[in-house]
Amino acid sequence: MATETKTATEDAKMDLFEDDDEFEEFEIDEEWDDKEEWSEATQQWEDDWDDDDVNDDFSVQLRRELEEISAAKS
Amino acid sequence: MAYLSMGEAHRRITDYLARFSDAVYMQDGHSLGPLFSVSSNSSQLLKLGDALNVFQDVDRLIKQSDKYSQIGEMVTPLLRCLRSYRTSNLVGAYNAFEKSANAFLQEFRVWESSWALEAVYTIVYEVRVLAEKADRQLASVGKNTEKLQAAGSFLMKFFGALAGKGPKRVGALYVTCQLFKVYFKLNTVHLCRSVIRSIETAKIFEFEEFPTRDKVTYMYYTGRLEVYNENFLSADQKLTYSLKHCNPRREANVRMILKYLIPVKLSLGILPTNMLLEKHNLLEYADIVQALKRGDLRLLRHALKEHEDQFLRSGVYLVLEKLELQVYQRLIKKIYIIQKQKDPAKAHQVKLDVIVKALKWLEMNMDVDEVECMVAILIYKNLMKGYFAHKSKVVVLSKQDPFPKLNGKPVNT
Repeated sequence: MATETKTATEDAKMDLFEDDDEFEEFEIDEEWDDKEEWSEATQQWEDDWDDDDVNDDFSVQLRRELEEISAAKS
Repeated sequence: MAYLSMGEAHRRITDYLARFSDAVYMQDGHSLGPLFSVSSNSSQLLKLGDALNVFQDVDRLIKQSDKYSQIGEMVTPLLRCLRSYRTSNLVGAYNAFEKSANAFLQEFRVWESSWALEAVYTIVYEVRVLAEKADRQLASVGKNTEKLQAAGSFLMKFFGALAGKGPKRVGALYVTCQLFKVYFKLNTVHLCRSVIRSIETAKIFEFEEFPTRDKVTYMYYTGRLEVYNENFLSADQKLTYSLKHCNPRREANVRMILKYLIPVKLSLGILPTNMLLEKHNLLEYADIVQALKRGDLRLLRHALKEHEDQFLRSGVYLVLEKLELQVYQRLIKKIYIIQKQKDPAKAHQVKLDVIVKALKWLEMNMDVDEVECMVAILIYKNLMKGYFAHKSKVVVLSKQDPFPKLNGKPVNT
């Protein structure tokens, strides 16, 4: 049991010296077509999402909450 | 290990020495590089390692030959490294490799052309990787890990030899990227600054002239640094560059770039599509995106809590936490739209009390004063336009563009 605990702390210590997101090495002679229009990951973004639509489930519930408030008041 | 005769061991060693010296004299960097590639575990180098453990007197073999003694300072410690590596003495292997690399560097400085760059790439990579292995071994026996740090200082010498004028400069970015990997692992990222300055201020060499693989790696790491410094526009530009030019077949790298680019884009009010999150297995961001779309503060909190460790480890937690303001903005905007549908004339007056109740529904207990404070921040940061009617505890929204969009600009700080 005592040894197990020790290994765990050592692991944690080593862990500090890790970068989870270390970029993988490219091969020295790795080639790819860098000019190719690679639309896949660069075009999968929406900047015009902030619309006035309030028909989604969340908004419908929000509307119900707001109506309860005004009903309680009147 | 199968039996290895002295004669066979001798043959393997002289064969290696011959190839090494030929590569140097023929100025053939392509052949020289693999001879330094200790950690590649190539069968040839492993067999050589076996031979070196049988035939111990290599030093004399080298000294006796005129041809080999000229490369002796490079090759003697390199063979010692290969022998240590074969017997898993990784600290010894690193120390010997550094000696060999240092001797190589003395020669490389003198060579006028850049023929040996390919060997430089291998050596620089090996310095880092062998140091990591040595540190792991040191840690496993409870000793201080110090080799990777030593490797960082040593690689600066290589950087110095490359970063000047001339044809060798094209190799400087490769060393820079290896240094970044060292600094990020040791958590000494402030050390990146001086190499970045040297790369970016040089007028003698256009950044675009570096090899693509190094530009992609460089932009990934400098992009991450910009995320930590909360320079989101610059982070966006660097990470987008890296994404655009990365080999699309390198899925692990594409995913890593996106892991940082997504929080950056979110902070600029730009959302990734679900398809992107699914394809690259980044679903930890799905609820956060949903929370932004809805104005759902409860969902944001849950999503941050659920993936807290992960977000803290990659250092994007603080970036994501700040999205809260945008979620508040979205919620109040929804309240406003719902009011407008009911009674367009009064819609631009939002009672703070109504916001308090909506928040309560989202399990957030804030009183009117706290909500007023939050709304004041939204107005100050230009996420809302309007003013308070204090007495009646109402926020009066501007009739024109009451909820300005970010449109790719960061929230005012």
